Amino acid sequence: MNSSHNRRPAHWSVAGGSTALLAAMLGLASPASAESTDPIKLTLNDWTGQHISATIMGKVLESKGLSVEYVQADYIAQFAGLASGDLDVAMEIWDTTAKQLVADGVATGKIEDLGGTGMKAREEWWYPSYMKERCPGLPDWTALKSCAEAFSTPETAPKGRYVGGPVAWGGNDEERIAALGLDFEVVHPGTDSIIFAELESAYQRKAPIMIWGYEPHWLNAKYKGEFVEFPPYAPECYTDPAWGINPDATYDCGKPTGMIRKVAWSGVKEQWPTAYDAIKNFQISNAEMSEMVSRVDLKGEDLNTVVDGWIAANSAVWQKW
Amino acid sequence: MQRAALSKPLPAAFWLALAALSLSLAFYAKPLGEALSLEWLVDYPKLWIVPIQSQISAAMHWLIDEASFGLFTLREALRFLSGLMEVPMNLAIEGLATGLLSGTGSRAVEIFPPLSWIAVTVIFAATGHYAKGWALAFVQLACFLYLALFGQWHSAMLTLASIAVTLPFGVAVGLALGIACHTWSGFDRFMRPVLDLMQTVPVFAYLVPILFMFGFGPVSAMIATIIYALPPMIHNTTLALKAVPDELREFGTMVGCTPSQMMRKILLPSALSGLMVGVNQVIMSSLNMVIIASMIGAGGLGYDVLFSLRRLDIGAGMEAGLAIVVLAIALDRLSQALATRHPPARKTTSRAFPLNYPRSFLCVAVIAATWIGGNWIEALQTFPEGWQISTRQYWGELVKAINLNFYDQLEAVKLFFLATLLLPVKGFMLGLPWAWVIGLIALGGYKLGGWRLALLGTMLFGFILLTGQWDYAMISLYLCGVSVLLAILIGAPLGILAAEVKGFSRVMRVAVDTLQTLPTFVYLIPVVMLFNSGDFSALIAVTLYAVVPVIRYTAHGLDQVSPNLIEAGKMIGCSKWQILTKIKLPLAAPHMMLGLSQTIMFALSMLVITALVGTRDLGQQVYTALSQADPGLGLIAGLSVAFIAIVTDRFAAVAAKWLTAGG
Amino acid sequence: MKPAVTKLACRNIWKVFGPGGDRFLRGAAKAPSRDAFTRAGLIVAAEDISLDVIAGQILVIMGLSGSGKSTLVRLMSRLIEPSSGELIFEGKDLRKASEKELIEIRRHKMGMVFQSFALLPHRTVLGNVAFPLEVQGVGKAVHEEKAQEIIRLVGLAGRENCYPRELSGGQQQRVGIARSLISDPHIWFLDEPFSALDPIIRREMQDEFLRLQSEFQKTIVFITHDFEEAIRLADRVAIMKDGRIVQIGTPEELVLAPADDYVRQFTKHVVRAKVVSVRAIMTAPGPDAAYAGSVKATDHIEDIADAVEKAALPFAVQDENGRIIGAVGRRNIVDVLIGREQS
Ligand SMILES: Nc1ncnc2c1ncn2[C@@H]1O[C@H](COP(=O)(O)OP(=O)(O)OP(=O)(O)O)[C@@H](O)[C@H]1O
Ligand SMILES: [Mg+2]
Repeated sequence: MNSSHNRRPAHWSVAGGSTALLAAMLGLASPASAESTDPIKLTLNDWTGQHISATIMGKVLESKGLSVEYVQADYIAQFAGLASGDLDVAMEIWDTTAKQLVADGVATGKIEDLGGTGMKAREEWWYPSYMKERCPGLPDWTALKSCAEAFSTPETAPKGRYVGGPVAWGGNDEERIAALGLDFEVVHPGTDSIIFAELESAYQRKAPIMIWGYEPHWLNAKYKGEFVEFPPYAPECYTDPAWGINPDATYDCGKPTGMIRKVAWSGVKEQWPTAYDAIKNFQISNAEMSEMVSRVDLKGEDLNTVVDGWIAANSAVWQKW
Repeated sequence: MQRAALSKPLPAAFWLALAALSLSLAFYAKPLGEALSLEWLVDYPKLWIVPIQSQISAAMHWLIDEASFGLFTLREALRFLSGLMEVPMNLAIEGLATGLLSGTGSRAVEIFPPLSWIAVTVIFAATGHYAKGWALAFVQLACFLYLALFGQWHSAMLTLASIAVTLPFGVAVGLALGIACHTWSGFDRFMRPVLDLMQTVPVFAYLVPILFMFGFGPVSAMIATIIYALPPMIHNTTLALKAVPDELREFGTMVGCTPSQMMRKILLPSALSGLMVGVNQVIMSSLNMVIIASMIGAGGLGYDVLFSLRRLDIGAGMEAGLAIVVLAIALDRLSQALATRHPPARKTTSRAFPLNYPRSFLCVAVIAATWIGGNWIEALQTFPEGWQISTRQYWGELVKAINLNFYDQLEAVKLFFLATLLLPVKGFMLGLPWAWVIGLIALGGYKLGGWRLALLGTMLFGFILLTGQWDYAMISLYLCGVSVLLAILIGAPLGILAAEVKGFSRVMRVAVDTLQTLPTFVYLIPVVMLFNSGDFSALIAVTLYAVVPVIRYTAHGLDQVSPNLIEAGKMIGCSKWQILTKIKLPLAAPHMMLGLSQTIMFALSMLVITALVGTRDLGQQVYTALSQADPGLGLIAGLSVAFIAIVTDRFAAVAAKWLTAGG
Repeated sequence: MKPAVTKLACRNIWKVFGPGGDRFLRGAAKAPSRDAFTRAGLIVAAEDISLDVIAGQILVIMGLSGSGKSTLVRLMSRLIEPSSGELIFEGKDLRKASEKELIEIRRHKMGMVFQSFALLPHRTVLGNVAFPLEVQGVGKAVHEEKAQEIIRLVGLAGRENCYPRELSGGQQQRVGIARSLISDPHIWFLDEPFSALDPIIRREMQDEFLRLQSEFQKTIVFITHDFEEAIRLADRVAIMKDGRIVQIGTPEELVLAPADDYVRQFTKHVVRAKVVSVRAIMTAPGPDAAYAGSVKATDHIEDIADAVEKAALPFAVQDENGRIIGAVGRRNIVDVLIGREQS
């Protein structure tokens, strides 16, 4: 199993208290000459893919002679650290879950959006393959019209049960259900671990389940299943009722794909110009990421080894960052 | 006024009628309201919600960004403070986990390794031996070997480092404030509601402001932990000081103690056992905060739990979670023993130095030996990976086996509870018109505790109503109410067993410590796998946590009954059962009532967790606020939780007084 | 006889418990009636108390539970503030003493022994006994030596390093006594020091107490509700009821001339022979009577009864100068023993 962070020497702010103290007393960060020798703080959130992105970035920066520090941080809470300059870079901010936080931060000028990572977040209703037998016609969404009951549990019967995302993720699933005339009830767990706990449980029993799935994630590597195919998303679908198959309702389509972007403290550009460029240029594909994530999470390979492999194989790519 | 209201006997018929009326209103208020076009009395109109959310957010931004003392801003001052606190924090982290480094980031070079695993284990075992003897030394040994053996060492040392700084700091501040409360009654009155807020406003509600003010890192985690862990320390300090016998105080005065001598030499030492209850609570609460602390830069075991569960690795999460429990138990037992340690009657000072201080000598020797030896034999410094064992896959398989074989039975249980208990109560709570609920609070408050209580209740619930949190609050109230009820039904018998059956109390104590410090998240995932997300899973989680104070206070209350009274009972010829029901339980009742208030607090503090399994309560509002960067909403929802806690606590207190006085 | 020097004097001391008690008392033109206090929800624990504590004497305060004994000694030591009245200690007004002066007075001039011992549970016997000196800032070497000495004096040598919980009740109170004596107080308050002890140990402790008193000659205020104890120890006894002093006098005066039924209740079961002196029962000496021998006027009946009874003739009673001032015979003694009024 991967637990590289246990073994990697943790890089805490180890300058000893005195530097921190001095900086605090002066109330400002040390003046930036060309490139600061202070470590760049990359956040580590609590999922493997993000660790891989951060570690690749970190190793690349180190190869450019920069000092890097990893800080374990909560996905949401890290925004406060990025805004105040306590943290410097977050490598995977999903539009699907934190668009508002990025927009707010950028608006105050304290956070800078460093653009996409090359990965696209796809999120949509997802079901395990065995449900296909009980609801023929899937993945086309129209099949759901007639077999919602196949997705029901005693609590929701005869309605189907859809395990959506945390309320904070939005998703407009209630509206979608109404607009498309589906007979489903939405449950909103507070965190995605719970979604996958539900899936794991149902999958073990081959019980009916429909969840909010997303990519890149180990979901499709670990379980056999697929996304429901709704009418493809178009921006007008969310704003114009006339658009789409239901002329009276918005949201009569699938969900948009979202960027996964890099976000940084706005002082990074000045303090580490080289790093700033490299981070901005960081690009990786969904396929590459998914492959690495499943090697770590499902095959139990060491994360550092996997990342080193990528670094070795792709030096032409990252040398240019 | 208050006295008059209290002395009037309240006819049971009055309360019964009120209950019946509430019941019928819950079901017929909606149609009735529509018929009379008085819907606004039933469902609070959205238009009337006072939009203070954005003002609060703005005020907070001002506080964080602009508030200034002239020469420097509030934030700079706080940053300076956190810089100061970072010094011991870094020292602890470097000493236990990372080693002393020079340089920063990837340029860091280790100039001195951290204490080796052998050294830390030996130090704790030796301290255990010093404090209480071989038994405790063995407990410490077992705990720390667990951490090493199960590969939790590095994270555990990070967690231990933050506790090692947080604990003395929290205890010192709590002690100082407790003494201040004891000394100045005005300060006490001011602190009481503040403490209630500190204990019940969910940390998530003020996490972001703290991060802005103290910076992202272990210091913020420490501040958040201290805010949460401080109230029990303060409460216990004032209680313990108050409990010092008057004669001791008078004695102090008679020998001419100055106020400071009185405090240092008489009150504090004689209040020690009460103070230690506070210290125990600080330890438990700090370990309870490990998860949240790890989200804001403290790292350690909490982070491992989150990371494992994010991958649905139940076993790894369980092992990391149990490591937290193990750490809690080790620290708790050690601190209790140290505080109650009685030095041996006579010291022999004649022997040569190392023999005179054998334990210190041993520790120094082991530190030196592992440090030097570590350069050649790695195993002396870090526990070799090859020796580690793990049970992780079994946990997952265990859950799977239950899931495959018993899911239907579990589902039947769940549906039974839902149909007979949860859904009816939920329907009832949501069906009640807000105007009626507020009226009830006013009336009940007045009848039970006079106009002050009535005013407090209406004002606090009025806040919830006006800020638009009513429905969320009702769901919270319903979930917590049912959980508290269940917790009492389960916990009271267990507490009695723990007090009555020899040997069971030790088991129970470990179980209770586990329930309190094992991160809920660790068992929430299996619970969701077996029961799906929803109210029933929330009920299980809240009940498991809220049962802690029930068991603890019941057992403690029964233990406190004077043996004389029990002997008296025996001499009258009471059976064991009669002694329990006629002597012990009535005498333990006041203590158990104290537990009730803690149970309510515990239950409400779990609201944030219930939101994880999809309940639409105040906890969910707090989360939503967090992810939408809306500190105003966060604070409002957080305050609503706290207000429910305060009102139910005050009501429970007067109701308890009624019951014990009347019965 | 030495001239009586007043060590501590109470002048019209009042103590009213309850919210606004002091104001209520001060507001009244003349002392309000008991009913008025009760109606105001106040408790009068000390009512207009005036008494002198004579230097070198033992004053015993007696009364039923709740009569205000503890309150009175706590008023004398200013542990509680009187509602009104004056306290003169060694010629100075104690109520005017500042907090600082009070600390000094208590450190060096007052000592107190408590009913439930009030030992510090976290300190050893030695630590407890040395505590007052430690508080005064006396060096460790000095106070430990002094403590050792006084521990020996109360018969606890060898237990210096025990904790209070390892001692019996009697031993614990010895620690309390030793501790209150270590700073050599001028006035010594004891609030029911022996009532938590069993009768045998209590008796032992009383002997111990008398032995110590013969050694130190302290001025003592001693509370008890046991009249036997009072007469064994007291030079004078003050009897309290509902916050008032009903009567104050020597044990003999109380036995022979109780002020009211309340006092009589206390003295009723006393073995009168132990209290009553010859002077109280002697008859006028006959003009030329024959005597079997002589006794002193201050002798207690108990001490002479055997001799008087055996002899057919009465005994002559002499004063301290040896002058014959009366006679005492069998009949006088029988009168005392059976409680018959003197005929
Ligand atoms: N702090 C107080 N507040 C109010 N009332 C008090 C207080 N202390 C004493 N009293 C009352 O004053 C009266 C005298 O009490 P005190 O303790 O002096 O009695 P006591 O003679 O010492 O009795 P005991 O023999 O039981 O010790 C009692 O009625 C008691 O209730
Ligand atoms: Mg008393």
